[in-house]
Amino acid sequence: MKTIYKIFIAGIVLLFSGALIVSCSSTKDKYTAVTDVEEEFKIEKSGAQMWGEACNRCHLAPSPADYNDTDWETISLHMRIRANLTEKEITKIEAFLKSAN
Amino acid sequence: MKKLIILILIFGVGHTVYGQTYNNFDTDSTTTTEPFNPSKTQFMIRGYGHTGLNTMSNDDETESSYVGSAFAPIFLFKHSDKLLFEAELEFVLEGNELEVGLEYADVMYVLNKNMTVRAGKFLLPFGTFMERLHPAWINRLPTTPLGYGHDGIAPSSGIGVELRGAFDLGGPSLNYAVYSTNGPRLKDGSEEPEEAGMLMFQNFEDNNNSKAFGGRIGLLPFADSSTEIGFSTYSTSKVGNRDSEYENVGAFLYALDFSFVKQIPALGGFVDIKGQYNNSDIDDATFIEIHEEDGEEEEEEYTFGNNSNSFYAQLSYRPTMAESDFMKKLEFVGRYSNFNAPEGAEWEEQSEQYAFGLNYWLTWRSVIKIAYQTTDSVGGHDGGGITNGFYIHWAIGF
Repeated sequence: MKTIYKIFIAGIVLLFSGALIVSCSSTKDKYTAVTDVEEEFKIEKSGAQMWGEACNRCHLAPSPADYNDTDWETISLHMRIRANLTEKEITKIEAFLKSAN
Repeated sequence: MKKLIILILIFGVGHTVYGQTYNNFDTDSTTTTEPFNPSKTQFMIRGYGHTGLNTMSNDDETESSYVGSAFAPIFLFKHSDKLLFEAELEFVLEGNELEVGLEYADVMYVLNKNMTVRAGKFLLPFGTFMERLHPAWINRLPTTPLGYGHDGIAPSSGIGVELRGAFDLGGPSLNYAVYSTNGPRLKDGSEEPEEAGMLMFQNFEDNNNSKAFGGRIGLLPFADSSTEIGFSTYSTSKVGNRDSEYENVGAFLYALDFSFVKQIPALGGFVDIKGQYNNSDIDDATFIEIHEEDGEEEEEEYTFGNNSNSFYAQLSYRPTMAESDFMKKLEFVGRYSNFNAPEGAEWEEQSEQYAFGLNYWLTWRSVIKIAYQTTDSVGGHDGGGITNGFYIHWAIGF
């Protein structure tokens, strides 16, 4: 068990180090939508599509009308962390929910 | 005294008269027409509750009871766009008593777009069932699979610190979590001999200086986020009490989880497949069994290979593309689960369970669940046998 434990700790340290290096070396602090030039090559998913995909992974997708904009900001921050969503996903989903409520 | 009262009255009346006479309302904030600006700080109460009727029968007897409402408020305090506090209380009526539990209470801070730190008592990302799927309004069946909850082998929460986040891989995405907690403690049999060798995950104060370390990696390989494959581990080098003979007993747990959720036009609705395999490996230790022979208590030492595992797979289908509004709100669920506790332990058990359910979704967060479940056990607390259950539950999230 001691050997397994040591290997496991080493794995965790490597994973943590990798995540830290990658996340801290990112040059962008905020998600930004694709530019027109990028648009020609890449069609991004809409917030509505991401709402349908990400929310349904655990529970039924919520009705945008059930909360106001301020509530959706809190819920989005909570869900981003709880469901481990990417910043891009939650930014687009939150924008969709606030536009559709 | 009279003079003082008269002076106060004169001052009060005079102040009011002056105010009414000379107030031109220029500085009155209530007359401004500026739009309402919501604050960044916000407090919300969310949560869920459920109630229902349980009917359980085995070879000997049938028991039927309305089960008391469970109420689980979740408190969210958003301090800023990056700082959030969450806490969940759980009120459950059980055994003619009200049980109150603190499911989790932690503070979270978004460090950057790929990393968030959490500290406090939080749900552990050991697989996905306990962290994401166990709330009654999310769980598609009124019961939990074998291997979870009381006497389960999968840890549900811990006190410690965690880093988590997700990466967008340009279509696919990857999420991770690494954490350290107080870890579990070993039941040595001194209080409950029939549970000697089990891990107890409610470890509010560390019983030794050894922390548990764990983590989960989840990969969503397809751009439509329909599929997620996860691998979780949880390990500690010591689970016994400090200075006891069990102090150096270690434990290593791992879990594999799978999820597929997608609306398939050819099938006319949403297909949801979930599954998780848990494995627990605890170092062997020697425990004491007490026999009573000829009126005298005799102690006997015993040991066993302390390895347990559990598995569940669940399939549900919602005909969301049906023409009938009634059909659109239905959901059909089936689940298989099993649990194997160590051979030779007092709590040795081999169980298999099948559950089938029909749900009616009143709204996206309110569901009526009707389910039938049959469990075939050998060993365990109840001595084994076949137990059938019929459940009608109403769960609501808010």
